[in-house]
Amino acid sequence: MKKVVSILFVLLIFLGISVFSQVEITMWFHSGRGEEREVIEDQVKRFNAMQNEVKVIAIQLPEGSYNDQVNAAALAGDLPDVLDLDGPFVSNYAWAGYLRPLDEFMSSELKQDFLPSIIAQGTYNGKIYALGTFDSGLALWGNKALLGKANVRIPKNVEDAWTFTEFMDVLRRLKELPEVTYPLDLKANDRGEWYTYGLSPFFQGFGADLIDRETYMSAEGILNGPEAVAAASWLQALFEQGFVNSNPPGYNVEFLNGEIPLEWAGHWEYPQGKGALGDDLVLIPAPKFFKHVSGMGSWAWAITTNSKNPEASWKFLEFLLKPEEIVKMSNANGAVPSRYSAIELSELYKVGGPLNIYVQQLNTIALPRPVTPGYPTITLAFQDMIGNLIRGADVQEILDRAVRVIDQDIESNQGYPIY
Amino acid sequence: MKKAEKSRKKIYKQRGFKQALPFLLPASILLFVFLIIPFFFAFYLSFTNTRLISPIPPRFVGFSNYVRMLGDDLFGKALLNNFYFVAIVVPLQTIFALFLAILVNQKIKGSTTFRTIYFLPTVTTMVVVAVIWTFLYHPEGTINAILSFITFGKWEPIDLLNTERIAFPAIMLLSIWQGVGFQMLIFLAGLQEIPESLYEAATIDGANKWKQFIYITLPQLKNTSIFVIISTTILAFKLFDQVYIMTSGGPNYSTYTVMLHIYNQGFRMQNVGYASSLTVIFFLIILGFSLIQRIFLREEREVF
Repeated sequence: MKKVVSILFVLLIFLGISVFSQVEITMWFHSGRGEEREVIEDQVKRFNAMQNEVKVIAIQLPEGSYNDQVNAAALAGDLPDVLDLDGPFVSNYAWAGYLRPLDEFMSSELKQDFLPSIIAQGTYNGKIYALGTFDSGLALWGNKALLGKANVRIPKNVEDAWTFTEFMDVLRRLKELPEVTYPLDLKANDRGEWYTYGLSPFFQGFGADLIDRETYMSAEGILNGPEAVAAASWLQALFEQGFVNSNPPGYNVEFLNGEIPLEWAGHWEYPQGKGALGDDLVLIPAPKFFKHVSGMGSWAWAITTNSKNPEASWKFLEFLLKPEEIVKMSNANGAVPSRYSAIELSELYKVGGPLNIYVQQLNTIALPRPVTPGYPTITLAFQDMIGNLIRGADVQEILDRAVRVIDQDIESNQGYPIY
Repeated sequence: MKKAEKSRKKIYKQRGFKQALPFLLPASILLFVFLIIPFFFAFYLSFTNTRLISPIPPRFVGFSNYVRMLGDDLFGKALLNNFYFVAIVVPLQTIFALFLAILVNQKIKGSTTFRTIYFLPTVTTMVVVAVIWTFLYHPEGTINAILSFITFGKWEPIDLLNTERIAFPAIMLLSIWQGVGFQMLIFLAGLQEIPESLYEAATIDGANKWKQFIYITLPQLKNTSIFVIISTTILAFKLFDQVYIMTSGGPNYSTYTVMLHIYNQGFRMQNVGYASSLTVIFFLIILGFSLIQRIFLREEREVF
């Protein structure tokens, strides 16, 4: 009896110590798609079970108002230790002093293992503030059967991409097919960040941009110059001349039904597209306009300056950023693994894999959305502009307005000086 | 009558402010914390260049936010849209609500069912309503299908929410449909307050239904109508949910409203200082509008 009691006593002390030495960290993440959420929940559970030094308490917040909630929490000084942020917003939080640089935790081998796009999107003023477990891929999804009917060449890799004239020729030929309602889908109803993420590469392809990337001080002549006017007019004509539906009834129904042969969309369409079209689903690299550009950037993890336990927080991020964990996430949501060592492990993304084109794009032609604290206004102005563009507004007028809004914001924030 | 009045006054004198205070306190604290402090705070912020999150300490900028407003054509456009919305929705919704209230006030079987049906849209969240109506208004949606059916296919489907002239009236229609139940209920309460004896007397005097409506129902409903008109006006000025969800203010700002502008400036562009100055001016405009309404529609009140 005595023995049992003393064993119990020792056990109790042991438990007590382990509980005491355990560090608790809180983590916020946006509730994305179901599969993504499940993987994160599972990762947190396994991380908490495999060691007893750090305990992660995960809280998910709805995606639609995620930024608003993070802003509010930042103002109130209530940010968690770890949170995920949409890539282009990182610089705004970093500028405001809410994020902790991650450089001290990263070895140079680790840094070099990440895709250049991940580093580019997470870096503000020379320091890395956020690291994603995945990046996004933006290109064309095609319906092989319909493309074959129209006798269209399907590019195999990024160098081989359609040129502008070839792309327009493809659209014209596809439009003539009787079963096709519209040759291309641009997700015109997916207002919000999609407009900037998905459609600004077309502007950059024409040689325009959202802002002067040398100084980040003005959009004058960049977003309303002749290149921008050309891009906007071309885009507007696509809608006006019936190449693209300005109000598609669903998100991707017509593409999955085989009524639309081409869809300009992200990697996230892969699981559904594969299910509906099977082997007819084909990934086509972004067409090469006057400049060859595609989009990039996705949600990334950051540690806040509010955190009292940055080391413990990094331990958790280190776990999430392990190649095996990255692949688990990538397999669930179809996104591009953020590390080369993870890409090698991924059936989808390794050389020869069905989605390898995204990796090629991210290595060569992907351009981050402007890395500046003024991004929230830039994207809103651009979204507004696209919304009016699709509905047939005067091109020069709406471009000038967008430039005015962006420049005024930069001015009233004193040019976003580095603090 | 006089005697009663006198004794009433006495009671009020006896039970003074001290007794009233505990009853006033809870509501006053809530009003103070959630309405009055934020209002003065907004007033203060409107003279600064505060950004939602920023490492730069905010500083006073005097009236420059207000000056900036003068050159803000979107604010002007939004304000005009708000007035347009109020001018159409308030009279239509009030008349329609009165009409429905009279209908469901008839003493026939099943009127309770109709009351419930008319009230249903009001208890449904606006967000849900807006999403559903977005589908109804779609070129391949129900409304275009019905129009096409009754014109034997001659109707060319139009994209109602993406057509500049039609988008706002379409949103007005849905707003009236959603809001009318609430006003109907208030009118119904007003109708049931009217003593039956007035109608009986009128019937004996040979007044027909129309005359009864003009000379009894309407005057008796005066206070109710004033309440309905003023509250509908204020609600109409606050138009946000529908336009935010259905059009984001488009096409070409034809459904852009002041609330949407304030939200975009304050939260999405993080321009809190400027957004605050917009709210201050918007508040003054609504206040002025309500005061004018008050002068023209004086309530008849029993004053003790």
